[in-house]
Amino acid sequence: MSSAGTTLKHYFVNHEQQFDAAKLGMWLFLVTEILLFSGMFVAYAVYRSWHPEVFAQASELLDWRLGALNTVVLLASSFTVALSIHFVQKGENDKVVVLLLMTLLCAAIFMVVKYFEYSGKFSHGVFPGAGFEPHGIVDGKDYSKYDIPFAPQFFSIYFVMTGIHGVHVLVGMGLFGWLITRVARGHFSPQWYTPVELTGLYWHLVDIIWIFLFPLLYLI
Amino acid sequence: MSEASHNYLSAKKGLWSWLATTDHKRIGIMYAIACGTFFLLGGILATFVRTELGTPGETILDQDGYNQIFTLHGVVMVFLVIIPAIPGILGNFVLPIQIGAKDVAFPRLNLASWYLFMAGALMAVFGWLFVGNVDTGWTFYTPYSSGASNAVLWLTSAVFVAGFASIFTGLNFIVTVHKMRAPGMTWNRLPLFVWAIYATGIVQVLATPVIGITMVLLFLEKLMQIGIFDPALGGDPVLFQHFFWFYSHPAVYIMILPAMGIISDLMGTFSRQQVSGYTFIALSSVAIAFLGFLVWGHHMFVSGQSALSSIIFSMLTFLIGIPTGIKVFNWVATMYKGSVWLRTPMIYALMFLFLFTIGGLTGIMVGVLAVDVHLHDTYFVVAHFHYVMMGGALIGLIGGLHYWWPKMTGRMYNETAGIIAAVLIFIGFNLTFFTQFFLGSRGMPRRYHDYTELLENFPEFAALNMASTIGSYILGIGLLMILVYALYSLFKGPKAPANPWGACTLEWTHTGPLPDEHNFHETPLVTRGPYDFHLADDVFGPKEEN
Amino acid sequence: MAQGQHHIIPIRTLAVVFGVLLFLTLVTAVTARVDLGALNVPLALIIAGSKAILVALVFMALKYDNKVNLLVLVLGVVFAVVFLALTLADTEFRGDIGITEPGTTELSVEPVESE
Repeated sequence: MSSAGTTLKHYFVNHEQQFDAAKLGMWLFLVTEILLFSGMFVAYAVYRSWHPEVFAQASELLDWRLGALNTVVLLASSFTVALSIHFVQKGENDKVVVLLLMTLLCAAIFMVVKYFEYSGKFSHGVFPGAGFEPHGIVDGKDYSKYDIPFAPQFFSIYFVMTGIHGVHVLVGMGLFGWLITRVARGHFSPQWYTPVELTGLYWHLVDIIWIFLFPLLYLI
Repeated sequence: MSEASHNYLSAKKGLWSWLATTDHKRIGIMYAIACGTFFLLGGILATFVRTELGTPGETILDQDGYNQIFTLHGVVMVFLVIIPAIPGILGNFVLPIQIGAKDVAFPRLNLASWYLFMAGALMAVFGWLFVGNVDTGWTFYTPYSSGASNAVLWLTSAVFVAGFASIFTGLNFIVTVHKMRAPGMTWNRLPLFVWAIYATGIVQVLATPVIGITMVLLFLEKLMQIGIFDPALGGDPVLFQHFFWFYSHPAVYIMILPAMGIISDLMGTFSRQQVSGYTFIALSSVAIAFLGFLVWGHHMFVSGQSALSSIIFSMLTFLIGIPTGIKVFNWVATMYKGSVWLRTPMIYALMFLFLFTIGGLTGIMVGVLAVDVHLHDTYFVVAHFHYVMMGGALIGLIGGLHYWWPKMTGRMYNETAGIIAAVLIFIGFNLTFFTQFFLGSRGMPRRYHDYTELLENFPEFAALNMASTIGSYILGIGLLMILVYALYSLFKGPKAPANPWGACTLEWTHTGPLPDEHNFHETPLVTRGPYDFHLADDVFGPKEEN
Repeated sequence: MAQGQHHIIPIRTLAVVFGVLLFLTLVTAVTARVDLGALNVPLALIIAGSKAILVALVFMALKYDNKVNLLVLVLGVVFAVVFLALTLADTEFRGDIGITEPGTTELSVEPVESE
């Protein structure tokens, strides 16, 4: 790829066609992500409707304040991404770099919070699957009381859903790091900013998935 | 024009020019080589299965060996041959040229999909050869699969990876059809093959991610006992079947829709006639793609799912017959008062019509709740889906390969040999699988390595099984014959003209015998439909060549 | 040059949407603390759905974009819902055929044996 702002591949007629094609391709990819997560939402819905009281009880072990904090962090990162596209369209690349750095920072905060949540759970024996053996007392909650049938299912689903979501956040962080270096080197212009646009779309989808995960896992 | 000296094959030389190519035509050829190899492997495995069943008692395989062989036959044929073959080979080669594009929308993604596909295939082979035995059947049903050997981890990963290859292919074609059409190539001027591949792309994009997450969950179930699918841990094995079939039933349409597209093109070209009901055939492809998502539970009538859902799924299953019937009737109508030219590709098209109709109608039979309870897991089902997958999808593929062979290789094959092979395949196929309808309806269960004890009550099983095995050998000879004359044609065949069939679509009218590296010298301007043979005189003449 | 013509979403719009998203997060967190009985789940889902729609329409610019992209998203969501609905059609009514409970099978067989 050349460093000039306009890289038109030979098999496209013009930039508009190339941009539209890339964007449609990205949307199709996002749909595959939705369907990928839909499997986990289906598993969640099935087990929740079979064992509603277990799910309600088990979700008490998740700290809704941390979940809410992460929601706000991700929403903020979505906002900064949307702003960065606004400014790349105007050609104000200095602001784009700052905004993308803020996005990266938000994503990092999200992962740090997630790390503390996970390690807190692991240290008290809350593992996905066979290792599930809750013990200890945190915030006045006796974990050993949560060793009930089908609580492992709740936590398996919790760990798989948030785990795969977390992997997506990590991938997004890599993409933003890559984008920042490219913006700083002046690769993008109002004429050509397709990678910023597509990464932005990806990031918003990661945000949307979390918008559903938060209430389903932490609140209800 | 000097196509002979400058075409997509001669443009660059060397192995690397293939392995690093982004040319959709070369990627198509690479898919052809890969899928062809796996088809040979799957075919050899099938011969083992049939040989074992040819006579009662242990013939060549013990029960464990038999279980592994049929599992591998299923996995290879479904995931490595039928699903990727038509979009991968013919979709890649033909679709961009048919719509007048220089390439697909994302050529590098296209190449990546081939490498993902190969990675998946190698993982499957590695798991099978070096990790352990897999005898779960291609469906990997829990809880058996979550307790089986670690090779299951490799095979599920292989399916996951190969699935992404399929997603990328489908995604690429959808965008290509939406954004890359030549001037004048309106939606109602798209060849029906393009419509079919487009509809297939929708299914690939929407369904395949679910097999991805299913395989991830199965992987975790086996690795960490997460208890979603394993009943011993409080999970629900029927839920696994929902997940699996939410992909794998639409996957049947990933297999058959492209073949239907090929048949539409063949019917038009070899009947020298506007394809009857063009709009209906085009939209029925899309309808099948969507309806295909609503019927997966008909694989689970005896799984213990709720009667309510069985009834819903059974009802929806019948709906699939409508768009399928629309296609079949329109193909027949296309030939009516046409000028039918019985060349090898058309023979396969007619064969498809015959075999697929049997496959489709028996599908309606097993979609009936009460009938399915009797026929479930018998050879009737085996016969049914072989009539669809082989008699439909693979016969369509073989017909398409014969049709586009001159364009892909620049050479003709021996017509007489082609027809003899086709006749052998037709006889062999029917002998193999029609007998299995009898076996199944009398209760011969599938996936058994031996039926000695059944002979007391059903003495006819011996003769029927023997006939089926003999049929499979005839079928195998027919298929090997294709391999022989194809290889001969590759090196010694006569040079093909640019449009040997007098077809009307762009890949025939607007390219040389072998297409250019970037398909066209100039972007074509499309002024007529794909089967407007009455307008074709003015495009065939050299003076009008764009 | 073509991309210069793309719709640039004003900062004000983006900021307003961000504000609404934060507000809805607050609402969902607060209402979940209150016991509304059967209404808790639908309410949380409606709020989450509204937030998702806002993000998709404004942040992802579907409101201003080529409609085919919107169609793609809608299709994806529709089939995710199909997946959910038809699976629940089984799991919510599991056992309605009457012979899947261990006890019922034995009971229905016994009289036959006693004859």
